[in-house]
Amino acid sequence: MVTSVAGVYLSYPFCAQKCTYCNFASGVFPRELERSYVHALQAELRAHPWEWGPQTVYLGGGTPSILEIDVLRTLLELIPGAPWAEATLEAAPGTVTPERARGWVECGVNRVSLGVQSFVETEIRRTGRKHTAQTVKDEIGILQEAGIGNINIDLIAGLSGQTEASWRESLDGIERLAPPHVSVYMLEVDEDSRLGKEMLLGGVRYGAAETPGDDQTAAFYETAVDRLSSLGIPRYEISNFARPGHESLHNLKYWKLEPYAGFGADAHSFDGATRRQNPESVNAYLAGEDSETTPAHLDEERFFVGLRLAAGIHPAPEDWLRFAAPIRRFVDAGLLETENGMLRLTNRGVLLSNEVFQEFLTP
Amino acid sequence: MDPEFIRNFSIIAHIDHGKSTLADRLLEVTGALSQREMMEQVLDSMDLERERGITIKAHAVRLNYRADDGNDYQLNLIDTPGHVDFSYEVSRSLQACEGALLVIDASQGVEAQTLANTYLALHHNLEIIPVINKIDLPSAEPERIREQIETVIGLDAKDAVLASAKQGTGVHEILEAIVHLVPQPKGSPDAPLRALIFDSWFDSYRGVIILVRVLDGRLHKGQKIRLWSNGQVYEVDGLGYQAPKSTPCDELATGEVGFLFANIKTVSDAKIGDTITDHENPAAEPLPGFEEIKAMVFAGLYPVESHEHGLLRDALEKLRLNDSAFSFEPENSVALGFGFRCGFLGLLHLEIVQERLEREFNIDLITTAPGVRYLVTTTSGEIVEVHNPTKFPDPSEIKQIEEPIIAATVITREEYLGGILKLLEEKRGTQKKFEYIGGGRVMLTYELPLNEIVLDFYDRLKSASRGYASLDYHLSGHRVSPLVKLDVLVAGEPVDALTIIVHKEFAYERGKDLIARLRKLIPRQMFEVALQAAIGNKIVARETISALRKNVLAKCYGGDISRKRKLLEKQKEGKKRMKRVGRVEIPQEAFLAVLKVGQTEEGE
Repeated sequence: MVTSVAGVYLSYPFCAQKCTYCNFASGVFPRELERSYVHALQAELRAHPWEWGPQTVYLGGGTPSILEIDVLRTLLELIPGAPWAEATLEAAPGTVTPERARGWVECGVNRVSLGVQSFVETEIRRTGRKHTAQTVKDEIGILQEAGIGNINIDLIAGLSGQTEASWRESLDGIERLAPPHVSVYMLEVDEDSRLGKEMLLGGVRYGAAETPGDDQTAAFYETAVDRLSSLGIPRYEISNFARPGHESLHNLKYWKLEPYAGFGADAHSFDGATRRQNPESVNAYLAGEDSETTPAHLDEERFFVGLRLAAGIHPAPEDWLRFAAPIRRFVDAGLLETENGMLRLTNRGVLLSNEVFQEFLTP
Repeated sequence: MDPEFIRNFSIIAHIDHGKSTLADRLLEVTGALSQREMMEQVLDSMDLERERGITIKAHAVRLNYRADDGNDYQLNLIDTPGHVDFSYEVSRSLQACEGALLVIDASQGVEAQTLANTYLALHHNLEIIPVINKIDLPSAEPERIREQIETVIGLDAKDAVLASAKQGTGVHEILEAIVHLVPQPKGSPDAPLRALIFDSWFDSYRGVIILVRVLDGRLHKGQKIRLWSNGQVYEVDGLGYQAPKSTPCDELATGEVGFLFANIKTVSDAKIGDTITDHENPAAEPLPGFEEIKAMVFAGLYPVESHEHGLLRDALEKLRLNDSAFSFEPENSVALGFGFRCGFLGLLHLEIVQERLEREFNIDLITTAPGVRYLVTTTSGEIVEVHNPTKFPDPSEIKQIEEPIIAATVITREEYLGGILKLLEEKRGTQKKFEYIGGGRVMLTYELPLNEIVLDFYDRLKSASRGYASLDYHLSGHRVSPLVKLDVLVAGEPVDALTIIVHKEFAYERGKDLIARLRKLIPRQMFEVALQAAIGNKIVARETISALRKNVLAKCYGGDISRKRKLLEKQKEGKKRMKRVGRVEIPQEAFLAVLKVGQTEEGE
């Protein structure tokens, strides 16, 4: 079924602490559970037929940077195709040590994504994290020392207490560290997160009342787009920015509808025709509950997934016809633009992309 | 059966004072139904009735009871609707009885809403049997309540039955009281037939089924009957009674209650309150009190999905089979497309129809603000009836507008007077009477424009009195008033479905309120949207909804495409429930915003 070069995703949903905005199935679990989980993950990797060798590997979390190196090695050894063109590990600032960094490289990791979120201390504290701007600086040094220069920094726009000035401070942090890749996520307050509950109920602990509104978050995002672009880190996907040539090969597979296989709780797979989702919670995964499969709707996904890329998409002639009316409407409204048979979101269209994407779903 | 052994009664109770439980208990004790069967009981059989705790249609259940005197009695329990919208139906049901149980909660005491129906029952000369219910509750104070019944209602309550319908205490005493206190039906078995229609509904197998009380003479199978109001003649195909299961019989004698069907095609032919007589040997006079039910409140009903227009028409036709008080005619709105202008008895009636359409027929509806019927005299001297604000003639062609006026009776407690008087004032009421009726209660009689009642009056009366006010009203005439048409423009386009008729003096304020409310209800769009209220060409209020800045999914969640799809589908589904007017998506609630206009922001 897999016809092009595929990626592998490993889910490690364990954290030292849970962030206040987090609505993931990840969190803090007992050690015993962690061990069982690793065993289950190994078993799932072993059981996979591996008819192909992956081009990319991505270890997402949770916080896979707290995995013991030996355990990490046993997991990665089960994946064929090493050395991979790209093997990313998500890391929480504060967990990067020279020993770990060396261990990661030995295991085949060649890219690290740091969940920095902010360079402003008050904002970081409110998310429930403990690092500082200095931690980030030091740890990037450690990574580079170990040979990992391909680094991503995550930022979140819309954190509690964030202001225009503090957001600038975080962008300044990017400028100083000059990473090749940056992700900027606009905070989605989910009612299942602690922050979300607080916002609904009007508490003060996580700074719900000081969480910027949609308009301000949108403004922060736009500031980031301009600033990063001027730093030579242009946007290539709604939330992703990179120096040319440093785009995340793995993440691009999602947007380009290329295949990937996911392992672990809540991991997702796509073989070119079918989408599969493993049980969402760790317990359900360990209990061996079935994964869910749904047929992919490529004709729609090409639009609502593909249009996330800054380069846009190249719709087939029949799609131009099929969606002539909404395309016209959004071009008129300044949310879409066309050029040489390509269709892409405008800057304004990016912020309203859900409004656009809806129209490409078949009713 | 010999009228000597027949008792016809109804139950008057405030909501939650235990009417249904008591009715169930009576059925159980007389062996009409087992406890298990009670679950799917006939009383309050519509889902809506159960949920709202109200009775919409009347029912009549026959109970067979062997009294302590050794005789077998036929007790007919006639359950009546309990809302001012249906006060005519209530009065017809009461007309079919000789007595009523007045059920009062032993800790709550006499509630205002009970009064109107009790007075109505007294007006029909019914024997009232007070029942103090829920005496099992620790907070029960039966003696205090007994006194209250005497001072407040003015009834002798020394023989009031103390009961707990829940536990079954007092049920036997109630049955005995019915037998001994409720008079036997009067009327002459040998006189020409006179039977009262007190409800009817449509059955797809047998046509219209009519609930009747035989006042004089007798009804039998095969009889040629004539309906008084329209002179139509039918042959009785079948007779029976509910026990509570439908039980056929050959004859309904003087004093008896039951149903009949006679191949009648629509409920509007069998009007509530009408008299049935024998075609060959007709009575000289009909029974008193018959009125043609006329819709008082009008609103436009539109399908959210315009292709469901046909479906909506079929649904309305089906509902009308069972509800002759409700009327509809096709209507066309620039904003909403094809729909229907419907007439209702009142707001509750409107809500019921609306909910049944959505629930039973699965049609998403937009309901426009309810309004009333105006009499417009044009400059050429012609008088036109207008019940759709958009159909108002041009102001230059209007000589005068008359609006319907009601005589309203409000009974409440002294402590809530302040808020209620203010409300009545605000609603352009004129005080006609102010009486203390004992026990700290006041009865107010006001003249009010009906238009003011259909706009949120009932809700506000409830909040001003903490639910402790009853409202009863009837149409008392028309009055010339300085009324104007207030239009609403969304993004520069007039939205006809939001047009309302208001008193000139309040127009400016209403316009401002309405626009402010709409601003909260209409979600931000991809562009800025101006909202304006206008009288003629004059803009009286304006607000702006700023453009939507952000609707984007950032995170990729390890390739979770399904999550993105689900979110997009959910958003898209949400839009389906909105109506696109010009370029603007307007949610259904916005069309009812008009309803709440004028209400202060209390409790929001």
